[in-house]
Amino acid sequence: MTTIDVAESAESTALHGFWTRSRKVGTVLAVLGIAVFLIGLTMTAGAEASVRFNLTLPEAAAAFPAKPVVLTLGAVAVLLGALLLTGRVHLPFGLTVGVAVAAVVLALLIWAIARPGNTLQIDTVLKGTMLLALPLIFGSLSGVLCERSGIINVGIEGQFLAGAFTGALAGTVTGSPWVGILAATVAGALVTFVLAALAIRYVVDQVVLGVVLNLLVLGLTGFLFDRIMKDNESATNLAMRVPEWQIPILSDIPAIGPALFGQNVFVYLALVLVALVYVMLFHTRWGLRTRAVGEHPVAADTVGIKVNSLRFRNVLIAGLVSGLGGAFLTIGEALPFSENMTDGKGFIALAVLIVGRWNPIGGLLGALLFGFAMQIEQFLSSVPGGSPVPSEFLAMLPYLVTIVAVAGLIGRVRAPAADGKPYTKA
Amino acid sequence: MRTVRGKRMAAIGVTGAVALFVAACGEAPDSANEGGDAVAKDFKACMVTDTGGVEDRSFNASAWQGMNAAVEAEPAVEVHVKESGSEADYETNLTGFINEGCDLIVAVGGLMGEALTTVAADYPDQRFAIVDAYLPDSPNVFSMEFNTAQSSFLAGYLAAGHSKTGKVATYGGLKIPPVTIFMDGFAEGVAYYNETKDADVEVLGWNPETQNGSFADSFEDSGKGKSLTENFVSQGADIIFPVAGKTGMGTPTVTQGDDALDSIWVDLDGCESAAEYCEEFLTTSEKNIPDAVSEAILAARDGGPTDGHTVGTLENGGVSLSTLREDIDPELAAEIETVKEAIISGDIEIKSEVQPVAS
Repeated sequence: MTTIDVAESAESTALHGFWTRSRKVGTVLAVLGIAVFLIGLTMTAGAEASVRFNLTLPEAAAAFPAKPVVLTLGAVAVLLGALLLTGRVHLPFGLTVGVAVAAVVLALLIWAIARPGNTLQIDTVLKGTMLLALPLIFGSLSGVLCERSGIINVGIEGQFLAGAFTGALAGTVTGSPWVGILAATVAGALVTFVLAALAIRYVVDQVVLGVVLNLLVLGLTGFLFDRIMKDNESATNLAMRVPEWQIPILSDIPAIGPALFGQNVFVYLALVLVALVYVMLFHTRWGLRTRAVGEHPVAADTVGIKVNSLRFRNVLIAGLVSGLGGAFLTIGEALPFSENMTDGKGFIALAVLIVGRWNPIGGLLGALLFGFAMQIEQFLSSVPGGSPVPSEFLAMLPYLVTIVAVAGLIGRVRAPAADGKPYTKA
Repeated sequence: MRTVRGKRMAAIGVTGAVALFVAACGEAPDSANEGGDAVAKDFKACMVTDTGGVEDRSFNASAWQGMNAAVEAEPAVEVHVKESGSEADYETNLTGFINEGCDLIVAVGGLMGEALTTVAADYPDQRFAIVDAYLPDSPNVFSMEFNTAQSSFLAGYLAAGHSKTGKVATYGGLKIPPVTIFMDGFAEGVAYYNETKDADVEVLGWNPETQNGSFADSFEDSGKGKSLTENFVSQGADIIFPVAGKTGMGTPTVTQGDDALDSIWVDLDGCESAAEYCEEFLTTSEKNIPDAVSEAILAARDGGPTDGHTVGTLENGGVSLSTLREDIDPELAAEIETVKEAIISGDIEIKSEVQPVAS
């Protein structure tokens, strides 16, 4: 993988003149920090923010004076921004921006909850973050598998829907959620089979194909729902449940315990898959070949790699993964299937894939960031007395955070060179 | 290369054809009364759904129920439905039905008001009806509105009386009047309970003064409904009132896991529309769309006024609270009857500004 060294390009004045990226980002951070500081000044001196590990240590609630904390965090952001702006001290760029953004977000969060009766329920917020991020993790993994081998997968949304529908149907009919999960992965793979066949064998434009497949599956599941499920829901479309596995001791750790070790099987599956795909992609022969096929298929062909059959296989595997993501939406969430229940998650997963730079770990972090932003939005709108921020603004939060993350932290991204380009032997 | 291109064209053609075929099928069921009776059909009533689709278990589903009720009452009526996949489909679906020769076109949802105003002006001789909006300037549109603040007021009173934790919650699908009217009524009902009982029950998720609250921004994402509900529960709420169509299905999924948690459903009696979760619902703040729609169809068939306007209230049965769950304290149930009488007689005044006014 060839990545651009962000730190280097961010500081090279020769290329950009005075306004290097590091200076621009520094200015933005300083302004944000000043805004936070001003917000902090408007707070009443006695305001307290209380936090609670509501699932692991429900008895121990801690409260701390909010005003000084918000002011300090604002000052930290201003300081880091100023350091980047002057360019005198050499700081690791990504880390500095990360710390400064985290300080701003934390300060705003504390400001929002620093009212009597409001408590930040840390365990629920983090557990919810993981659950909201989960479909995005599966989706971006599916995208990684496809795009690393040179096939664009815009059809994640459709694979989700196919998985969600088939999972609910097969699970209810057989009475076993596990059969449902298995069937969902197969359904996902069936959708990508069509994608692979048309994209690789018949060289159809992959973006158009993905969009059409989404519409196809949306129509197909809607039609089958009407014909099979609607009049007989108790036999075809029940909410299936997979048990929550509490890992002893680990699940009692405050904050991260319930989020990572007290979840249902989908969370563990997702985390294992992220690690597995990462290792496979960067440390095995299959991974090297996959990346070669995605970057420079002609070269790969020259050394004897069967480009198209490898692509075909990878796209099918990707379908299994996104089918699993679909199964999460019904079986993992213990919900019955309903038409268009994915509601655009497949497209957000596509964005997460890019934010994560076509890397499984990056995708995981991107998904968590997005999940966290959505969770904070929901949390703030559920506190007693209501959110101090209008709900319309809160609804923008996940997207705003993504933009900040992409612009400030990620910088320029580069897709695999042969992404979306069909390979035909000359 | 030539053969490849040929194949590519063929592949695109096949994919497109399959997609079109399935999309066309997806709009089924086109008619609920195929075959069977041999009565000659003389009135064609057509319904355009909002984006939730016919199977949303609340709003659109109840309108469709009303369409079918009209067929039961008068077999000479035939009914059809088109589902709107997005807001861009409203006008297409409305004009599509005009071309199919419908006698009455029912638009379901206040969001369709704007599209319908345009279409109704273009086709002044076509009869239309709309649920949840009042279009006084369109002489060929029959408007049906519902003062659900009244039934939700009762639901709020019930929730406040039944809550053990002293916190109840509500959230909406979108911040639009047909949704916030429920939330307004609910919050006012809780406030009235606090006033009369000197209690201190809190409402999470909606503040009627600032008109700010909790919204899923979707009527379809039940996963989001679930995580919103979990947030409310973590804040201590034990009764949750979702006003969000299919998104709301996330709520009974959560309350099912804990006996201390309950939910109140909206629009259509939850024990019928979401029967598998019947035990989770204390009651339903019902909006009697079926009767209104069916009456509008029958009236139109008999040549009634084209620009009528009905407002469903507790008094005329257009809105109501469905049968309370069995374990509700009978004393509380009796109080709710008293409150209902007081609303009808005007002794209790509901302040919500989005209430429809009879014309």
